[in-house]
Amino acid sequence: MSWDYFFVQVANGAVIGVIYALIAVGVTLIFSILKIVNFAHGDLYMLGGYCAYYVIEFLEFQPLAAMVVAMVALFVLAIILERLLLTPLYSDTTERKDEYGLIVTFGLAYFLRNIAVIAFGPFPLKPPSFIPGVLRIDNLILTNDRLVAAGIGIVLIAGLLYFMQRTIWGQALDAVSQSRDSAAIVGINARRFNSFAFGIGAALAAAAGALVAPIFSLAPDMGVLPNIHAYVIVILGGMGSVTGSIIAGVMLGEAENLFTAYFPDATRAFAYSNAFGVVMLMIFLVFRPQGLFGRRHLRME
Amino acid sequence: MRAPHIYILLALAGLALVFADQLNSYWMHVAIIAMYYGILSASWSLLAGSVGLFSLSHMAFAAIGAYTSALLIKWYGIPIPVGMAAGVVMCCAIGGLIGWVCLRMSGPYLAIFTLGFSEIVRITIATEDDVTAGMAGLHTEPLFQSAATRLPYFYAAFALLVVSLLLMGLLVRSRWGLFLRAIREDEQAAAASGVAVARFRILAFAIASGFAGLAGGFYAHYIPIITPSMGDLNEMAKLVVMTVIGGMERLPTAVGGAIVVEFLLEELRDYGQWRLPLFGIILLLTMRFARNGLLTPIWLRFVRIGEAPGSAPPGIGEEKGSEA
Repeated sequence: MSWDYFFVQVANGAVIGVIYALIAVGVTLIFSILKIVNFAHGDLYMLGGYCAYYVIEFLEFQPLAAMVVAMVALFVLAIILERLLLTPLYSDTTERKDEYGLIVTFGLAYFLRNIAVIAFGPFPLKPPSFIPGVLRIDNLILTNDRLVAAGIGIVLIAGLLYFMQRTIWGQALDAVSQSRDSAAIVGINARRFNSFAFGIGAALAAAAGALVAPIFSLAPDMGVLPNIHAYVIVILGGMGSVTGSIIAGVMLGEAENLFTAYFPDATRAFAYSNAFGVVMLMIFLVFRPQGLFGRRHLRME
Repeated sequence: MRAPHIYILLALAGLALVFADQLNSYWMHVAIIAMYYGILSASWSLLAGSVGLFSLSHMAFAAIGAYTSALLIKWYGIPIPVGMAAGVVMCCAIGGLIGWVCLRMSGPYLAIFTLGFSEIVRITIATEDDVTAGMAGLHTEPLFQSAATRLPYFYAAFALLVVSLLLMGLLVRSRWGLFLRAIREDEQAAAASGVAVARFRILAFAIASGFAGLAGGFYAHYIPIITPSMGDLNEMAKLVVMTVIGGMERLPTAVGGAIVVEFLLEELRDYGQWRLPLFGIILLLTMRFARNGLLTPIWLRFVRIGEAPGSAPPGIGEEKGSEA
């Protein structure tokens, strides 16, 4: 195997890793505020991709503008869904909130995936490229779409980090994630931040869907695997840790791509690359549930 | 006459058996598949409803049971019931192992772990096609070689469902069942009261997985070809829909949910694709407004037939409902 092949794989892995991170950051954010694992996250990602596609197709927006429209649309949709379905999570009279959150988001995923088959059809769709063409440095070839996806992904993640650490709203969000009661004492309306966190998570997933669409094309079940990848990342990075998710996302993207590229049996490599991430997930859950970077899981025991 | 609902159920079961041959082939098939899901949803409700272990690998265990049985019969030519029993043993063992591995995990972590496990099972079965025939599907031996109609399968499915329900019902009503419910309500309090939480969590996983393997084994020898998608996430979602809509806390409501949903899915075939999101909405509405399940109030009324109105305080009615 040549070095060129290796570098192409590393570059592809980094691009996919950034996209994974973008999805996983939303899962982590939602978990740290609402204390639920969102099983419908992959389907919000799928909706984001389709939303961008139809905005490009019918309103003839630029792909980048369409991505922003998709983010706003999913932000609003997620807040509506959260208001409709998740409010019992905040009530003291609801028993076994874990179970409620699990089944409701699982049911939501089932609903969204099946309604997507009806609304968008079962056949894959492909929106136009952000910037057509390829980038070539010596023998290293990357499509521009992958570069754009990685670039915008990094900008969005950086924006989120800035927002979380440097703005008053972000700090309030962090406060709610650390202690709901203490946040309430200093005058933060925790309920509003529940909606807000769910919306932000969905908007990031929508951005990931819009960015990935020109690379892999859209299908109603496109969210299933990224959803599982997001869990792998979230467990690796530590549930609730945004920075951990980013690092783990890129690591998983690299690990999977290199695994696929160098697995001896090429016909099985792709199938097992998905299993590879899941095996990592299971090993980590058993042996190091706090993740690589050691932020304690809030309710592991 | 004490507990007249039991006699009513027996009479209904008798009627079902006697008039089963009146069903046409299509609806008999639907009934058999409904009973297959009935065993699965009852055992899943044992796990998720009674013990509070929200496992997403239940359909994967059905697939393990099906493939174990089918492959053993293909390789060694053992009789079909032995193959099915081997599938059950296999599922009990792997289920116990999974239960042991995720002893420390609660709620969402357990769900993610079991989701991962079911993905690995599906990917492995689909990829190792020289053993399992992969997505092309594995041809299996029929349970009844010379059967001209589906009637023997109907009786077999009925017997399996009844036996499974009786066994699970006995478990739920026993002292062990009490321990399992205690774990669900509060694991630490249960441990403090002397319940061997670890042992019972493993036991619950092993037993529920065994029943899933039994259902899968039956399915493998009813449907002549099995594919990895019988254990995938869509099937799991269907099972969750059935069980939760019926009522996941009681075995009869879980089975009722499976049967009602399966028949409705067939009855509403004219609506094509729309059926699935429709049941998604029903699931969401059930969770939001009637978390005990849609069949639970009906069942609770049913078990109190014959009692003088208002004679029993509601608490006792609740208790009765948890009986199989």
